[in-house]
Amino acid sequence: MRTLVTVVLVFLVIGCGSKPQAPLPEVTAFARPALPQGCEDPAWRSVPAHVAPLLLQDLVEPRQLVATTAAVTVQAVHDGSRVAFRLSWADPTHDDSPGAARFSDACAVQLPAVAGADLPAPQMGETGRPVEITAWRASWQASVDGRGDDMTALYPRAQVDHYPFTAPSLAPGSPEQEEMARRYAPARALGNPMEGPRSSPVEDLVADGPGTLRPAPRAMSTGSGRRTRDGWTVQLVRPLPAGVRPGQRGAVAFAVWDGSHEEAGARKMRTGWVPLAIGEGS
Amino acid sequence: MALVRNWQLGREMSYWYPEARPQRQFAAVFDINKCIACQTCTLACKTTWTSGKGQEYMLWNNVESKPYGFYPLAWDVKLLDMLGAQRWQGSRYAGRTLFEAAPAGERVLGWRPEDLDYAHPNIGEDDCAGRIDAGAALAVPHFAWFFYLARICNHCTYPACLASCPRGSIYKRPEDGIVLVDQGRCRGYRECVKACPYKKVFYNPSTGTSEKCIACYPKIEQGEQPQCFVNCIGKIRLAGFVSTPEQARPDNPIDYLVHVRKVALPLYPQLGLEPNVYYIPPVHVPLPYLEQMFGPGVSAALDTYRAAADDPDLAGLLTLFGCSHEVMPRWKRSGDTVLGLAENGRELMRVPLREPVYVRTAFDSARGVVRTNVP
Repeated sequence: MRTLVTVVLVFLVIGCGSKPQAPLPEVTAFARPALPQGCEDPAWRSVPAHVAPLLLQDLVEPRQLVATTAAVTVQAVHDGSRVAFRLSWADPTHDDSPGAARFSDACAVQLPAVAGADLPAPQMGETGRPVEITAWRASWQASVDGRGDDMTALYPRAQVDHYPFTAPSLAPGSPEQEEMARRYAPARALGNPMEGPRSSPVEDLVADGPGTLRPAPRAMSTGSGRRTRDGWTVQLVRPLPAGVRPGQRGAVAFAVWDGSHEEAGARKMRTGWVPLAIGEGS
Repeated sequence: MALVRNWQLGREMSYWYPEARPQRQFAAVFDINKCIACQTCTLACKTTWTSGKGQEYMLWNNVESKPYGFYPLAWDVKLLDMLGAQRWQGSRYAGRTLFEAAPAGERVLGWRPEDLDYAHPNIGEDDCAGRIDAGAALAVPHFAWFFYLARICNHCTYPACLASCPRGSIYKRPEDGIVLVDQGRCRGYRECVKACPYKKVFYNPSTGTSEKCIACYPKIEQGEQPQCFVNCIGKIRLAGFVSTPEQARPDNPIDYLVHVRKVALPLYPQLGLEPNVYYIPPVHVPLPYLEQMFGPGVSAALDTYRAAADDPDLAGLLTLFGCSHEVMPRWKRSGDTVLGLAENGRELMRVPLREPVYVRTAFDSARGVVRTNVP
């Protein structure tokens, strides 16, 4: 039996053919005529990757003092106007459900708002020198993928008696009913959809220092994520960094949050600035 | 960290931000001795503010049976255990506050409850302290005891929730000291849930933000007391504004109870937040437990409270509890009448020091009937 297994393994290894590609020393966005359709697009298989070791966020309180996610594998391609990053990382726990003590797995890509050799602080930028961030959350992905926002969607055995906005006098979906529902969802009423129904699993943000994160003036990114056998793979697509054209260089930073370790906000694993090469062509 | 004055500790302490007291500070006095745990306050709050999706488990106001009732589970004993010994030297706190005991990398010493910690509010409510064995007799303090602790956000002078928020989404209103979470800015990191020792900030999984008691600020702005105050069946609550000890006014009802007579005490003052809900301690509970919960002033407060029957001012002020829907920032006693007043002295409420007593005979001679139907 052992011989048979060995023969099969040797056959599989030989059958795989090509040697695994060595990781790139920096993030390189290769030129392609079209961007991949999603994180599972086969086009990603031929794109060389950079493996970015993750550091503790130990600069500002609350600090991350226990190392969790070790590294994030980054691939990138561009089509001349947009750049797509694919982030993959190992995470044995699947955390995509919000709850009082449940935190979502998440990741983010950060770029300087203004291109140049003199980079802002990699830790969320600094006053007058902002950064642009594209963030993805697993819980947002679950919402986009169809999970409802009822309590029973989050806690299957929960029992809810009644909500004021489900009174028989309010026709479902009517303006009056929606107005009543907003009264009991103050963050949603203020246009701050941190959870609940979402049309996109990503959010565009800007910051000019720790604690200053805020929504970008306009949404410009798209993305999607999928749970893999041992972690997550996420594709994030955004315009090429301002002032950076094919053939030029820039910088990019990454962050990963592990929900099972109650990571959120400043409690995260992150990189410093990583050199970003925008390939010629396309 | 800044050095700030916390009068409840009798000393200065470290806090994340410099001292910035509001123009006036919302405050309340709860007379625990009158609470019957009917939970009318809880429902008044629930139906007013937290009937939405994601708010099902939230109780901005709750009443728990001490010593074994909690919401969320073990909220106070867990933190007291984490904090370690809490020593007082007279009226000066000699131990560490939550800010002074913050571990490396943290702003506040805290913990975050699990989902299940919220699942059974007041799960220990039927358990009193100790067994009632044969031969037990009624005495004060009781051998076996429990009491009802009604709780809302303390709208602290030094809020741990505010200090812990890394993005400044929590603010203390300068006009009345009410502490609020900016629902447009909060990103649901839950540092505030972890930091608040009273566990009065709740995460809403439906909106992804944290929410808390707002002291019914739309009512406060109109000069009215919050929902949980005006719906209190036992009339245990009085809302108003508290001054610092140096600026205390005897004609301010909260100041009178807190600073002048010192009969109302803060909840776990040793944590360092300078909470602004004050409690008249229960008279039947052993002192060591009460001193842990309300600080070193308990014994004197109880002596004062027990003597209230012969103290027309104190007894008179206690009659103002629950008698009006309006906030009464001033008061006075005139003979056998107690008056609740507006800031400008306008009369808002008038109550007798003692309610008149009518004794009705068993036989109503005017109607020729017996008033009871018991043969």
